[in-house]
Amino acid sequence: MSNNRVSRRQFLSYTLTGVGGFMAAGMLMPMVRFALDPVLQKHEGGDFVLTEQKIADITEAPIKVDFTFEQVDAWYKADVTNTAWVYKDGDVIVALSPVCKHLGCMVDWEHKDGNKNEFFCPCHAGRYTKNGGNIAGTPPLGPLDEFEVQEKDGYLMIGPSKPNTLV
Amino acid sequence: MYFNAKDITEFMAQKEFIDTAIVPLVSVDLSNEKMKQSGAEADFLIALTAFIEQQFKGRLLVMPLFSYSTVMKNEEMPKQLEIQLHNAGFKHVFFITCDRFWTNIEELINVIWLPAIPLESMDKGVKNSILEDQLRQVIPIFSTKWSQN
Repeated sequence: MSNNRVSRRQFLSYTLTGVGGFMAAGMLMPMVRFALDPVLQKHEGGDFVLTEQKIADITEAPIKVDFTFEQVDAWYKADVTNTAWVYKDGDVIVALSPVCKHLGCMVDWEHKDGNKNEFFCPCHAGRYTKNGGNIAGTPPLGPLDEFEVQEKDGYLMIGPSKPNTLV
Repeated sequence: MYFNAKDITEFMAQKEFIDTAIVPLVSVDLSNEKMKQSGAEADFLIALTAFIEQQFKGRLLVMPLFSYSTVMKNEEMPKQLEIQLHNAGFKHVFFITCDRFWTNIEELINVIWLPAIPLESMDKGVKNSILEDQLRQVIPIFSTKWSQN
């Protein structure tokens, strides 16, 4: 027998503290996790997507650039491909959303039924200027949305859309 | 637009602009040899109509798949459906299908027949470019109809 004997009283109080500690931790841990959850949440949707478009190849004439990102709808994940009309305005790169502000068709640059130097919506003949401004007298009620753009290693990155700032 | 609650609400509000209905007709063949082909056709039609919808969202309503088994196939069905869609205010009704049978009544209804391309083994990029090619074939059919009035 060693000198520091554990009395019955001590043994019971150690065990109770231990067990009680675990129980308290079991209750507190989820609470703490829930409290912190909003801070730890990932911010989706605001990310930039890398495209295969070289910055150097972008000219004054708008071209279609596809970009694909993952969209999560509840438990359903899907790769969504979006398109942007991209051109250079001086040194600034402009990326416009192709979605018509009337009812959501895809607009086309210099469409065969449309005018030169304009975007044209084949659904209801909506017209937009090169910077996305809607031309009065045609169905669209607002200018085309704009995408934020970034550059990475010479390639174009497309970010979230924002209301048109060019018109 | 699709036949769902959200799009139909918008459709109701903008009825005068959405004058075209697209009806995919899918044969559900349950015989051992044809079942897979039938599935590929359904795949292809869903992918293609989704692509068409994306391009012309504001002008057309893509109806849910109208499917029928081989014994239920009936020439009256699309004709009746077309009448009802016209009554509902659609000026143009297109039936899009991979089933050759419907080309028999081509003079009576607008049938767009396309051979099913098996998309299941393709990667995304190839799939997209194939659908784009198919779309390019379909667009003139729409634009001629649309420009007739």
